[in-house]
Amino acid sequence: MFAEISTDIQAMLPEIVLAVYAMLALIGAVYTGKDALGRTLVWVTAAVMVVLAFWIGSQEITERAFGGMFINDGFARFAKVTILLSAAAVLVMSIDYMDRRELLKFEYPLLVALATVGMMVMVSAGDLMALYMGLELQSLALYVVASLRRDSVKSTEAGLKYFVLGALSSGLLLYGASLTYGFAGTTLFSGIVEAVSDKPSLGLLFGLVFMIAGFAFKVSAAPFHMWTPDVYEGSPTPVTAFFATAPKVAAMGLFARVVHDAFGGVVGDWQQIVAFLSVASMFLGAVAAIGQTNIKRLMAYSSIAHMGFALMGLAAGTAFGVQAMLIYMAIYVTMNIGTFAFILSMEKDGMPVTDIASLQSYSKSEPLKALAMLVLLFSLAGVPPMVGFFGKFYVLRAAYEGGLTWLAVLGVIASVIGAFYYLRIVFYMYFGEDRDGLDKGGSPVLWAFLMASAAIIGISWFPGLNLFGIEVIAEAAAATLVE
Amino acid sequence: MSLFLIVALPFLGALLPGLMNSAGRAACAGVTFVVTLAAFVGLMTNLPAVAAGEVVSVGVDWIPIVGLNFNLMLDGLGFFFATLILGIGLLIITYARHYLAREDHMGEFFTYLLLFQGAMVGIVLSDNILLLLIFWELTSLSSFLLIGYWKHLPEGRQGARMALTVTGMGGLALIGGMLILGNIAGSYDLSVILQSKDVIQDSPLYLPALILILLGCFTKSAQFPFHFWLPHAMAAPTPVSAYLHSATMVKAGIFLMARLWPVLSGTPEWFVIVTTAGLITMCLGAVIALFKHDLKALLAFSTVSHLGLITMLLGTGTKFGAWAAVFHIFNHATFKAALFMSAGIVDHEAKTRDIRLLGGLRVLMPITFVIATLAALSMAGIPFLNGFLSKEMMLEEANHTTLFGMPWLVPVLATFGSLFSAAYCFRLIGHTFLGPVRESYPAKPHDPGFGLWGPPAILVVLVVAVGVAPFLATPMVQLVASAVVGEAGAFDDKYIKIWHGLVPALYMSIIAVVGGLVVLAMFKPLLRAWDAAPRPEAKTIFEALISGVVALAQGISHTLHNGAFSRYAAIAMITFIAVGYHAWQTGTVGEASRVIQEAGPVAIAGWLLLVAATIGLVLMHRRRLLALVLIGIVGLMVSVGFVYFSAPDLAMTQFTVEVVTIILLLLALNFLPKQTPVESSLSRRLRDGGVAILGGVATLILSYHYLIRDAVTGPISEFHLANSYKGGGGTNVVNVILVDFRGFDTFGEIIVLGIAALLIYALTETLLNGPVRARLLNRRPDQARAGDVHPMMMVVLTRVIMPVVLMVGFYIFLRGHNEPGGGFIAGLIVSIAVVMQYMASGFNWASDRVRFPYHGVIGAGVLVAGLTGIGSWFVGKPFLTSDFTYVRIPPFQEFELATAALFDVGVFLAVVGAVMLSLESFSRLARRAHDKDSDHPMDIDPSREDDAQAVKGA
Repeated sequence: MFAEISTDIQAMLPEIVLAVYAMLALIGAVYTGKDALGRTLVWVTAAVMVVLAFWIGSQEITERAFGGMFINDGFARFAKVTILLSAAAVLVMSIDYMDRRELLKFEYPLLVALATVGMMVMVSAGDLMALYMGLELQSLALYVVASLRRDSVKSTEAGLKYFVLGALSSGLLLYGASLTYGFAGTTLFSGIVEAVSDKPSLGLLFGLVFMIAGFAFKVSAAPFHMWTPDVYEGSPTPVTAFFATAPKVAAMGLFARVVHDAFGGVVGDWQQIVAFLSVASMFLGAVAAIGQTNIKRLMAYSSIAHMGFALMGLAAGTAFGVQAMLIYMAIYVTMNIGTFAFILSMEKDGMPVTDIASLQSYSKSEPLKALAMLVLLFSLAGVPPMVGFFGKFYVLRAAYEGGLTWLAVLGVIASVIGAFYYLRIVFYMYFGEDRDGLDKGGSPVLWAFLMASAAIIGISWFPGLNLFGIEVIAEAAAATLVE
Repeated sequence: MSLFLIVALPFLGALLPGLMNSAGRAACAGVTFVVTLAAFVGLMTNLPAVAAGEVVSVGVDWIPIVGLNFNLMLDGLGFFFATLILGIGLLIITYARHYLAREDHMGEFFTYLLLFQGAMVGIVLSDNILLLLIFWELTSLSSFLLIGYWKHLPEGRQGARMALTVTGMGGLALIGGMLILGNIAGSYDLSVILQSKDVIQDSPLYLPALILILLGCFTKSAQFPFHFWLPHAMAAPTPVSAYLHSATMVKAGIFLMARLWPVLSGTPEWFVIVTTAGLITMCLGAVIALFKHDLKALLAFSTVSHLGLITMLLGTGTKFGAWAAVFHIFNHATFKAALFMSAGIVDHEAKTRDIRLLGGLRVLMPITFVIATLAALSMAGIPFLNGFLSKEMMLEEANHTTLFGMPWLVPVLATFGSLFSAAYCFRLIGHTFLGPVRESYPAKPHDPGFGLWGPPAILVVLVVAVGVAPFLATPMVQLVASAVVGEAGAFDDKYIKIWHGLVPALYMSIIAVVGGLVVLAMFKPLLRAWDAAPRPEAKTIFEALISGVVALAQGISHTLHNGAFSRYAAIAMITFIAVGYHAWQTGTVGEASRVIQEAGPVAIAGWLLLVAATIGLVLMHRRRLLALVLIGIVGLMVSVGFVYFSAPDLAMTQFTVEVVTIILLLLALNFLPKQTPVESSLSRRLRDGGVAILGGVATLILSYHYLIRDAVTGPISEFHLANSYKGGGGTNVVNVILVDFRGFDTFGEIIVLGIAALLIYALTETLLNGPVRARLLNRRPDQARAGDVHPMMMVVLTRVIMPVVLMVGFYIFLRGHNEPGGGFIAGLIVSIAVVMQYMASGFNWASDRVRFPYHGVIGAGVLVAGLTGIGSWFVGKPFLTSDFTYVRIPPFQEFELATAALFDVGVFLAVVGAVMLSLESFSRLARRAHDKDSDHPMDIDPSREDDAQAVKGA
């Protein structure tokens, strides 16, 4: 029995290491330096995450632990590596910003670490209970992080809205999970998939749609996106950056996991819903972003639109669709890290600004950073040859080949509309009126992240680099999910 | 030279000027020139093969999984365009070297220029449409950098914005079109697509693909209704305008239409869309051009007009049209680039481009005059110049084209366009160069050095050469046209001659030229009429459109995201119901397998109470105390419901939980106003009510649906019923589940309960030491406090009741394993006993008598439960495995001893500790806010003298 448990523990050792690290560091910090340790803890946490990412990345087996509740396969590892690396990147990026606003509490990196543990469990979940546990661990940590700036009304309000809506969707998800359990007789995905192999009963269908609604909330797909703009705007910018990256990957991973592992037999039943979410998100994100003047709110709508595109890959219901979704998410995260590195460095007279108009004629004072942003924004808009185009291309093709031509066509239209607001920022930076611009210089860490991200986005399509081979990895990962 | 190298050279070379910026202007221009020349020569080495009709192609796989291959091909069409791009590029580089001012960054400019050049060459040589798309957008990007090169000009901003917006969005539409096209054909390689005409045209997706592709082409080539951006992009330096906006970039759209002509053309859709757009653009551009005073604006609209002409020719879908189009592309590139460069010279020397300030330059700038005049006359369609030949072909083609069933429409409009075209050409010559010399110009004009007039002169030589000796161009047109139409068909070169007989086209041409002169003669009155006439200004429309879109977007986002939480919740709720309805619609519903039970009078009464309380709660929720009472009733009825359905254990749990909750809420209410203020309007309440009723009805339907059907799998309760006594030694299944079957869950739960209590404690501690403290101290209660807070009756009563309640708790605990009861309920009951003491005798008095801190009680509970679990390890069983035995201690009857009971003690202690700790924390808040609590249990105690006096004093 103990041998069995030890193999089980072996399978989820990275999660255990991170969780134990977070708890030990929490207790340690409480009894020693408290907030004085904030900076150190951020670095250490980021280092732990990077090490774990490489460790996970080097694994190659597919294993099921704890009676199938926990799955360690290529798909989970792809998502985990993305989650860990992006979380580490955001942590490191946030140091200066948080420190200068006295937000660098020692809890911050540890809450992020705990949220990350939750995300890792989410993408590895093989059972409704593991799913819910991971999801709630992630969400609870995120609720706190969202309202980290306690003296700000906006931040508190954001946290509260996020919490209440999150609880609502969580409840619905739980309801869906209970129905699924009630009608499948098991909480294991592998058992559910057998129970729904034929025409699913109404109970299972309700379970499915309610769970999808819960996931849609987590990935902030329209019309469950309502919290996103407020939370993005209200939270401290590093937290916004975190929201925009790792949790999205995790929720997408979980989404894909459930619809394929548990409901893979009834693609037709969820395809329409996912396609609807995709269309609604793409259009809402594209249209609503046009009128925004705050770059954080704009990025919120941008993320909604991007989730729409990622969902398009999922809606295809094929292995290629999952692959497209994974590639899209990896590219999306890279772009967002660069963009948020830039937003974090937007300061005027030492104060953070988020007004888009403050970027007017930015290219004159900071030509290199402006160029990097140009690359990133073009990529976000999906303009070739930037890598963002390949992401869009993958999902569009996946949708087309999955028989959802109408979805692909609508996606093209949405991307055309969406291009408008990205290009508007570019326009401001290059052709805006002369006025007192943002402060020059800024943190070298942010500069490095911006440049690295822009470089990856700007050149990895070169022949020979071939997107650093990500599509091969994603293909293998998708194959483990969709047989 | 390999095609790879030809495409790569400009990109690689783009690094050089930037690096050599410090080496001087000549070096920058020189290296750019050499790079371009190398590419040009390389291209020419492929001429023999192409001339022989071969298609030179090379390729490597790039990202094969998406069908993106780095395949290049060189056929007549590609060769033709590449020659134009590189050839005119050489001239432009020479020209720019002399044109740009000393303070301009040469290196930057030439870097952008080479990037652009490379991208353009890439477009025309691509054999893969995805590759083509990449190059296509690279031209947008680099052109955008080039247009923005003169950043300091404010009028450049609007132009750049429009160019960026229109071509950027068009480019994305093109991506969609290409994607569909590639999917229809099954490959993204052009060589495959070009062979798949029938498949593509039969596909139902032909029309969407066509529209999306044409959107890309029309925006890039400034076709109606997207023609407006091009003139506004003219704020760029002249070499850029000449290169991008006449010779190359704007031709990319034309190129693509020509490239895809074999597969897309020939259908009615293609014909109607392309021809109509071309025709309108041609006429519109020509008319507007006539009335422009800025030389470059005039040329820009003339470019728009000529691009329209070419588009119209491609739209007809006939081979002859394609021939004419190809020929006109060449001719237009030569004379228009020459004209742009001439306009640049005038601007450079006279420091103005306003025609109204010019005139008489014939004398001052004779060389420029000759160059510009020849080029302009060619554009006007005067014989012996190349423009005449292709215009004749256009008119001939127009004669054979019937649009919308009206055979006269196209010829008339074509003649009309030509007429205005001739008119603005004459105006350009007449008002700029002819006429009297002015007394003053912004700067004294004179002919520039060879560096500036040389490049246009070379182009004009071509203009004249082809115009006089058309046979020189025949092989080229033949070669290119055969690449377009897809076959090396016999080319009827009847029209590439100066004299081709008295055909209708000639008469139309004569009408156009003569009419043009007449129009110019009437220019002043016409201009007055034009200025007076209201006309839509494309720029204003664009701005209005943009602001309209922004306003619409803001309207949408403000409606959806006004920050009000209730709206978010409403949207979420409606969506939940909608997805539920979707599931309802698509799911299969089995037959009802159960009958509804008869409802007895008790059930109906209970139900009525429940509903009445709920409705009352909704109606009276603003009065908080009343609301609490009603919530209590709801909870009570639910507990009664459990009793009714034979679940006494659940009922007891629910009931005690209700009591504790209500007490907690009462404590909280103490700090809150008695009324909830009205913050929502009636309509919002109606909306919320509607949503709530909808949600309720949906839940009702769903529940009813499940209630009348059996579960898919047998309920798990069977297992528990069967094993409860056998395996757990108890007959109360719920308790056995709690302490045995799912003991580990319970263990977790009591820990969570403890943490929650500690958290409440920590929060109140923080609050009491924080800023809230002052507010609490200064708080005035809403109502007068009761004079006798701790009445003697109550104190006495609670003291008497205390041991009784504790005994009941003990009894409930003991019987728990077999009868309703257990550690959890017992814990709650004991808590109630202790709370009563706090309430009756006061906080100070009660807490003085607490021997153990509640933290400790929680800890002890968790510890006991944990140790019980660990105990099973010693007998080699997993954590929390329970065991039981039956013992008999005389004189009692035989009874059971289970380890589960020990575990239950842990649960009991944890519950007591948690409840008490949280209640105590809350009451600390209350004490802070109110008067000091007395140390005595009773406010009025006859046995104490001082108290009576204190009361009197108060």
